[in-house]
Amino acid sequence: MHPEFEAVIGLEVHCQLSTDTKIFCGCRARMPDGTSIADVEVNSNTCPVCTGHPGTLPVLNGKVVEYAIKAGLATHCRINLHNVFSRKNYFYPDLPKGYQISQFDKPICEHGYLEIETKAGARKVEIQRIHMEEDAGKNVHMAGFSLVNLNRAGVPLIEIVSGPDMKTSEEAGAYLRGLHAIVTYLGICDGNMQDGNFRCDANVSVMPKGATQLGTRAEIKNVNSFRFVEKAIDYEIARQIEIVKSGGKIVQETRNYDSDKNITVSMRSKEEAHDYRYFPEPDLTPLNIDPALVEQIRATLPELPEQRRNRLIHELGLSVYDAGVLTGSKALVEFFEKGVGILVSAPSDSRNQMGGQAAAKQYAKSVANLMTGEVARLVNESGTEIGASKLTPTHIADVVRLVQAGLISSTAAKQVISTIWKTGDAVAVIVKSEGLEQVSDTSALEPVIDRVIAAFPGQAADFRGGKDKLLGFFVGQVMKEMGGKANPGMLGDLIKKKLTA
Amino acid sequence: MVEINEELTLKVGHLARLALSEHEVKTFTAQLGMILKYVEQLQEVNVDGVEPMTHPYIDRADLAAPLRKDEAKPFPRDENGKPKVLLHAPEVLFDGFKVPPIL
Amino acid sequence: MLPRNLNEKLSTEKFRTIREIHDAFDKKLLSPVELTRDYLAAAQASETGAYLLLCEERAMEQAKAADQVLAREGKVPRDRLPLLGIPLGIKDNLTMDGVRTTCGSKMLENYIPPYTATCVERLEKAGAVSLGKLSMDEFAMGGSNENSAFGPVKHPTHPDRVPGGSSGGSASAVGAGLCVGSLGSDTGGSIRLPASYCGVVGVKPTYGRISRYGLVAFASSLDQVGPLTRTVEDAALLMDVMSGFDPMDSTTVPMPATRSFQALQKPADLKGLRVGIPKEYFIGGLEPDVEKAIQTSLRWLESQGAKLVPISLPHTQYAVAIYYIVAVSEASSNLARFDGVRFGVRPKDITEVKDLTGFYEAVRNGFGAEVKRRIILGTFALSSGYAEAYYKRACQVRRQTKQDFDLAFQDVDVIVGPVSPTTAFKLGEKASDPLRMYLNDIFTIPANLVGLPSMSVPCGVDSKGLPIGFHLMTPLFQEDRMFSVGQAVFQGLGGGSGYGLAQGSNVGRL
Repeated sequence: MHPEFEAVIGLEVHCQLSTDTKIFCGCRARMPDGTSIADVEVNSNTCPVCTGHPGTLPVLNGKVVEYAIKAGLATHCRINLHNVFSRKNYFYPDLPKGYQISQFDKPICEHGYLEIETKAGARKVEIQRIHMEEDAGKNVHMAGFSLVNLNRAGVPLIEIVSGPDMKTSEEAGAYLRGLHAIVTYLGICDGNMQDGNFRCDANVSVMPKGATQLGTRAEIKNVNSFRFVEKAIDYEIARQIEIVKSGGKIVQETRNYDSDKNITVSMRSKEEAHDYRYFPEPDLTPLNIDPALVEQIRATLPELPEQRRNRLIHELGLSVYDAGVLTGSKALVEFFEKGVGILVSAPSDSRNQMGGQAAAKQYAKSVANLMTGEVARLVNESGTEIGASKLTPTHIADVVRLVQAGLISSTAAKQVISTIWKTGDAVAVIVKSEGLEQVSDTSALEPVIDRVIAAFPGQAADFRGGKDKLLGFFVGQVMKEMGGKANPGMLGDLIKKKLTA
Repeated sequence: MVEINEELTLKVGHLARLALSEHEVKTFTAQLGMILKYVEQLQEVNVDGVEPMTHPYIDRADLAAPLRKDEAKPFPRDENGKPKVLLHAPEVLFDGFKVPPIL
Repeated sequence: MLPRNLNEKLSTEKFRTIREIHDAFDKKLLSPVELTRDYLAAAQASETGAYLLLCEERAMEQAKAADQVLAREGKVPRDRLPLLGIPLGIKDNLTMDGVRTTCGSKMLENYIPPYTATCVERLEKAGAVSLGKLSMDEFAMGGSNENSAFGPVKHPTHPDRVPGGSSGGSASAVGAGLCVGSLGSDTGGSIRLPASYCGVVGVKPTYGRISRYGLVAFASSLDQVGPLTRTVEDAALLMDVMSGFDPMDSTTVPMPATRSFQALQKPADLKGLRVGIPKEYFIGGLEPDVEKAIQTSLRWLESQGAKLVPISLPHTQYAVAIYYIVAVSEASSNLARFDGVRFGVRPKDITEVKDLTGFYEAVRNGFGAEVKRRIILGTFALSSGYAEAYYKRACQVRRQTKQDFDLAFQDVDVIVGPVSPTTAFKLGEKASDPLRMYLNDIFTIPANLVGLPSMSVPCGVDSKGLPIGFHLMTPLFQEDRMFSVGQAVFQGLGGGSGYGLAQGSNVGRL
């Protein structure tokens, strides 16, 4: 953090809603087989309405309203029962009507907040408003011309606008991850940043520490990962401070983030002050929401990230860190809970005799370790989401069972998971084919231990003489003898017993 | 009262993507001036506390149309399986609408 | 066209109303194919310029299908197909799948819509035959049909005069016997004014009665589709077929179709009817013959037992000003989609244009002068710094206008007056003065601002034989009452003979 300056960051997030149809017409917003709209045959997912043909009119999709309300309730917003759509007028080839139907002065949700946690502690970030609007089509730039694809035009969006409330890239990252978790938990947005489901624009400005007058802000657009947003913000803050320090002025403009060079670049040449000439959309009568609908939606809200996190900590005894990592993604936490569920409900397991809650905690800890460790590593490195991977909760449950029974070591467990990620084979098959069975049978271990002790009489004597640290040496040697297959947890005690016998 | 001059006419014309010839700028500025002078009489009306009515049924929640169900209704293609919106488009390349370079 | 005995009337002249035609079908005096063929011939021979396009093949197909229904059923199944075999003209701002729609503009000279307007679909489902597309002022902007990019339309009986606009083609076609009825659109009087000039019946329904899906938008909160016909009864029937909620148009009201035709089968009882006469409508400025015709109509109403009640609509003087801000503002936005990207005409030299702005400007240069003027005015009225003083304020006085009517309708059942201060003027007479043109709409605009159902009924002709229209407005959704009173006036005063040019009327020539 810079000693003389502070940064002011506001974030605008556009979430593509995962409804079946577009916001104002019956064209699809998602394909039934899961293909992204972006990959469908060009201009085939269109109709006269979403291509702005003369004489066509918008008809509002009720599910969009429902999803917007869900987002508002989950972020503690006030739901405006009377809200209005407005036209935002400007010319652009991917905007078929020459205006975007959005909400201007009476958005559906206002004045909410999101709780974030950073190294500095927990705090609330203000959410100014959430409003509904339609997405534009896509332009493809070629040499000497451009092509317009309107498959995406009309896909429903909610725009979530934070207050200029954040001061660091860390806060921004935490806010984004928190918001992402909420919309995916609610099931209203797929949250795939690469596909453009969840888009973030950052407004960044700087001002001298303690000043009351906000500096001129620049808007950074088109950043498609949390990490890049954080880096872009860091770069931009530094860039602006440099300019201000040397007496220059910040230009209010839109900038792009170049992830290769880690810099933001001005898009100034095509920008001019837009006069959007907002006025209420005359083709849509004002939306009056029944308060009963809001309550109905409130009653059916799923468990949100904060609640789930708390439950994992208090009921399953997970650490705050583990709970945080797991609840960061709906897919991840559901996978986790399924895995634990399989273990807890397994019929013949001695652990169950310990009592449901204690057993659950035990399993939870083991599964959590694997997921926050090896699984998280695999997800990050491969870029594949857990839901799209070959790993299943059954795999995890089998691995944990084997480790807890002493049949494979925890190191071997990591290797197994890594192999499953590649092949999807059953745990038992992998353990056998890679020879990962761990020996936990004392009758098998004792002869080896005897042999090793006999091979190192000097160290044995030293140990008996008080050099306790040498136990590790013997453990290592026995492991070497056994090709790494001895159960390390047992070795310590067995060797000690033999040495001191 | 707003003085409409040629500069303003041109500026507004640009917002609407209308390129005006010299003659049009002159004539329109004069005509618009007359029309604006005529509508100026609205300024004398007392509108204190009056909510703008942008639509005849803006206050009639009972006349609002029901919201659409979220059920896909793909627009039928023509008999050759082509999306109908491409049929008579001015210039189509690789199924996209062709326009001058945007960037 | 086949030679015919000049002493024998065309079927278009022998059977003029839907009732007469269906009776003739039933009695086998006429077939749908004959009727459509005669109308197509009449349209082709006409010099009014009313039609921009005739759909000969398509219309004959529809007529043949109607023939087959008749052959099968023996008589016209009036309940299921109330418009069987009835040839209608469609204003060229209503889309028909696969049929060129120009909106009277060079911009859309080659536009083929991929879908059909709901109102047209409903008419055709009821058995109607669509003869072709009717000329109009470009994008419905105009009051004389002199703003069509394809040439002016002529008055049906006085070819040196305008038919009114913007539905000039629709009115002229009915008045000249080129269709049984037509569809027009009305934003500030565009159905009622030409109906008045041409001596036919013209109806603007309550806002939201008839779907606007397929009507190329001019001003979304003011536009309505409506019928132009020779008789009030025919207009009511067309209304009934077209009206009713449409899921493709969120501004249609969730109500079933009107049943005005049925309501008309009971003769109107005018005794005790409270007829509102706005004092602001009679402050002078009407042509003397128009004043006389309206006064005669009022006296006639009184003679039938109606009570004339003086009322005041204090914000009348602002109607045109409000309209010319609100309508153009919405229009400037509605016309932004005409950018040459997905449809419309691109000028031949467009390949030279290398940047986007230049491209848009080159395409949008295809608009006519009146359209450009209104787009600029509308863009201005919405722009930052001016929207408050212009658009917002106009909407506020719009509400006050509605309040005037709410108050007045507490004391009266129907509000009447002239449709226009004048009768049809000469071609070219007002073309150069937009403001003079706008002031023609002063009596018709309020109904659009408030959404009231209104109609023009022929009530006489002036000394030159030019028709004069009588204007009626009833409260929201009271089409039944409006048609009932309109029918009484029509039969008592005007086109009782059914041809719509006040022939055989009691009022006669003044």
